[in-house]
Amino acid sequence: MSAVTEKEPVVKKANRLQVTKLNNKMVNQYWEDLFHAKEQGKLVCWTEGIQINPILQAADIAWCHGEAAAALMAARKESAVPQAHMETLGYDRELCSYARTHIGCGILNQSSTVEAQTLLDVDGRTLGSKIPPPDMIISAYPFCSTGQQWDNEVYRTYGKKVPIFNMSLSWTWGNKPSAKYMSGPEYRENVAFLKKQLQDCIRFIEGITGKPYDWDRLTEIMTYTKKAAELRLEAMQLCKARPSPASFFEWTNSIAPVNFLPGGPEIVDYFAQKKAEIEARIAQGVGSVPVEKYRLWWDGIMNWNKIGWLSDKFAGYDACMVAGRYTHMGFWQEPQVIDVRDPLDGMAQNYLTCPISISAPQVIEKIIEHCEFYEIDGLILHAARTCRAFSYPQFMIADAVGKRLGLPVAMFEGDMVDETFYKDEIVNSRVEAMLEAIDASRARMR
Amino acid sequence: MTAYAMGIDFGSTTAKVVILDESGEMAASAISQKGAVSDEGVRMALADALQQAGIEQSAIRKVVSTGYGRRMLDIADRSITEITCHARGAVALVPQARVVLDIGGQDSKVIAIDANGLVARYAMNDRCAAGTGKFLEVLARAVNIELERMGSVALEATETVGITSMCATFAETEVISLLAEGHSRPVVLAAVHQAIANRTVGLVGRVGKRDPMVMTGGVSHNIAAVHYLEKALATSLIVPPGAQTAGALGAALFALDDLRAEAAEPGKRIADEDDGVLAEPLECKPACEKKGLFAKLFRS
Repeated sequence: MSAVTEKEPVVKKANRLQVTKLNNKMVNQYWEDLFHAKEQGKLVCWTEGIQINPILQAADIAWCHGEAAAALMAARKESAVPQAHMETLGYDRELCSYARTHIGCGILNQSSTVEAQTLLDVDGRTLGSKIPPPDMIISAYPFCSTGQQWDNEVYRTYGKKVPIFNMSLSWTWGNKPSAKYMSGPEYRENVAFLKKQLQDCIRFIEGITGKPYDWDRLTEIMTYTKKAAELRLEAMQLCKARPSPASFFEWTNSIAPVNFLPGGPEIVDYFAQKKAEIEARIAQGVGSVPVEKYRLWWDGIMNWNKIGWLSDKFAGYDACMVAGRYTHMGFWQEPQVIDVRDPLDGMAQNYLTCPISISAPQVIEKIIEHCEFYEIDGLILHAARTCRAFSYPQFMIADAVGKRLGLPVAMFEGDMVDETFYKDEIVNSRVEAMLEAIDASRARMR
Repeated sequence: MTAYAMGIDFGSTTAKVVILDESGEMAASAISQKGAVSDEGVRMALADALQQAGIEQSAIRKVVSTGYGRRMLDIADRSITEITCHARGAVALVPQARVVLDIGGQDSKVIAIDANGLVARYAMNDRCAAGTGKFLEVLARAVNIELERMGSVALEATETVGITSMCATFAETEVISLLAEGHSRPVVLAAVHQAIANRTVGLVGRVGKRDPMVMTGGVSHNIAAVHYLEKALATSLIVPPGAQTAGALGAALFALDDLRAEAAEPGKRIADEDDGVLAEPLECKPACEKKGLFAKLFRS
């Protein structure tokens, strides 16, 4: 007899939504269109931060959203080269990895040396090598000083010759009676201030294009955007079901249509299909993970190079990551306030209530609402090492949400793009300890 | 034939094994230090434990593993994290414990225990191995002193200096600078221990300071670490005998639960009194020959 046992590992994988393939198709089409924008006579804007793409789309301007570009490069394992190049130029690896990736592409693209082109254009197929240079830059970052410096570096990279427009997004304090979530005089002042800047931005665009702005086109685009956002929220809320038919990772995969893809019937159709697939899963009792023993909340930006891997990892733990701050509290998260005939006010309100534009007390209250609605058992906090704007309130979130709802919390460090910050065994220990704490808590209840 | 339950804490710097008999009495407790998740280390700890208990490995009926290498052990029926195991072990050693402070080789953990002796909350060093046993190990090397002696030497300090870096590499640079400035080894070592204590206070704050506090893990043997932690926390720490093997003890207690649960199931026996063969024999399948550490271990 031997005391050795052979345990065949049970491989459980996340049950991915079919509609995600359509998302990938739309994303690929968007980038192909951008790569060829100049051939079609379009101006190209590089922009970071909030989703100002409807404003650009109405002026027939193509856009490159810096974070989206860096995230996609991370997902395609193409971000290491521009990041390494930036380090040789003195950009510390603790700086925003989105910015290091995006600026790195710009610098390598600007360089005519064979070495630079070879570095960036591995096999002539990398995304970074195909992004057209900017004709204008619009910086619109909420609560992130790196965002402004990032755009300033892009401006310098292109010889300080590209027109740049800087937007300032006011911080909303949660502890002032005058600035409650979406209400109060200070909040309204902030909205008016940003709306004025959006109007100025449109004048800036008119100055570059030499054409009057097409407000009817903006109304049309925002009609699609608003409808897509409403369908998205409806589909998200269906995930209250047990087992949850879709996970945070599926919503992460659906950021593009509400972040940087053009507003049109395609994004409405996408979320209608997604909602229908979710409804079908609920009817059939199909969950996002094979066995749903734990329902979790993800706090933090996504680790873009590990979406599929992480979704399978948590499926292996019988855990469904039902919702998260990044996906459920941002990206046209308040569509009901958008008046499509006069959309700037509603757009400003959505920009100002994203989870890095409101203070920790408001973030915490919103997270508690979500955790109660989705019946969450525990919180996973992914502290993105190079995004302090997102990770700064995480100890407060862990403390306040954990104590108020009596939920266990696991925190680990990683990054949105720079995978060198991620250590698998650290994640395993923390996640498993949290799941054991949930089991212990359930044992107490019995 | 008596059945035994075993807990193995396959840690980042040491391997610890605890064997309990079916009544819950400790039959053996062994520690081996042979480097990070060392094959040799766990072999030695296990062989030592079996010898202490005076039993053959076939008498071990349930095994629970914990520690960084917990998933490497094919022999384990299941693995449980160090947090849960240290909490269980610490409560077994000190039933009134409300906070467990475990400073291990690669991580520090502070665990709040509820009235039922279960994990209520916990905090770990989230960003790096700062404030852990590894930090002490690196700095002992920089000061050129044996790890075992650094605590007693630190307590000889007659003045206070500060180390601000918690990164072991940068702290090593600071230590070298302090020595170069002429500070004595006790003074520099005291600063090293104070740095660990200050780091740990932050973790305690996150779960809530409550007494009694129990310290487990290898660093609990370091008298200077305990001294400066007590000073920083303004409380007394209980360091029970067997503090370093608390994680393995916790794992062994979970294994004992499994042993008893199996015995309680109708139609199952813990052990056959005549021949020592399990009711459900655990056979080694051929595939495990190439992958498991213990597949090799138990054949050798």
